[in-house]
Amino acid sequence: MIGDPHETAKRLIAQDRVEGVSAQEREWLDRHLSECKDCERLAAGTDRAIALLRTVSISVPADLAERARLRVDLRTQEVDERRRWWWLPWTACTVSWAIGIVSAPYVWRAFSWLGHEAGVPTLVWKAGFALWWAAPALFAAGALLWERWDLPWYRTR
Amino acid sequence: MAGASLFFAALLPASPKTLARGLRRRDPQLLDGLIEQYQYRLYRYLFSLTGNREMAEDLFQETWIRVLDRGHQYDGRSKFEAWLFSIARHLVIDVSRKRAFESIDSLTVEPAAAEPSSWERVNSREVQAAIEESLGRLPAVYREVLVLRFQEDLALHEIAAIVDAPLATVKSRLYRGLETLRGLLGGME
Repeated sequence: MIGDPHETAKRLIAQDRVEGVSAQEREWLDRHLSECKDCERLAAGTDRAIALLRTVSISVPADLAERARLRVDLRTQEVDERRRWWWLPWTACTVSWAIGIVSAPYVWRAFSWLGHEAGVPTLVWKAGFALWWAAPALFAAGALLWERWDLPWYRTR
Repeated sequence: MAGASLFFAALLPASPKTLARGLRRRDPQLLDGLIEQYQYRLYRYLFSLTGNREMAEDLFQETWIRVLDRGHQYDGRSKFEAWLFSIARHLVIDVSRKRAFESIDSLTVEPAAAEPSSWERVNSREVQAAIEESLGRLPAVYREVLVLRFQEDLALHEIAAIVDAPLATVKSRLYRGLETLRGLLGGME
């Protein structure tokens, strides 16, 4: 061991309690403590502080667990109720998409005809068609985001 | 109370993996059991962070709500208590931010001169009160790691995960906390 032996002992005393020391360090520390009363007092004081820390007990309110259970039950009911109706927008979205797939060729022609009649650029009516096609997906994404945003635990972290 | 604890303890699954599956299912019996089993340790941890009984009670309930909501995020690879304390800690930080604190460091309990602090009120015994007063004087960042290491007996890497800090920082806080606590308790020889 190099340097001030008392400083080394002080460091090892804490290290031993927090994360442990090697066998070699322990051997040195034990020898030093048997020779140095100040460091021995320091080690005893550290052990005493830890022992006292372990004895600290706090009184838990008698109904603490019961109140927590009640809150958890209420939250469960709330989420279940919300989920009970959650199928509705998803079903509407799926049906809408299915209709979209079937009617896509007709709608394409309709957009094309309307585009030519109104004299709008091809890119514009194609973009309009793409928007119409993506509408159910956009709705679904919006609904999902709303649901997540609306639930407080998604806001905090 | 003891009977209820035994009843709920008997319901608890053996492994963290089973626990994770139960939390994913939002198993109400499992949650009831966990609330019962961890009530003391969680409350003590929250109290050590806030130094305030009412705040600890509120946060205790909020923690379990969050366990219910985020149970699917627990993968069973770490100890449940480490995950639980991590959730609790984030809630404390959220509350601290709302109350215009900048970080958990500012949650240090200042013992009142005229009337006993929250720590002191917990137990009337003289020695116990003195220890609690000393703990109350410790900065929250030190108190937290000391509680997790020496009361909860968590490993250093688990503490690092809970407090979301590098291992070296945790060790440093433990060394400084221990030194400060030893100084504060020095008069109790």
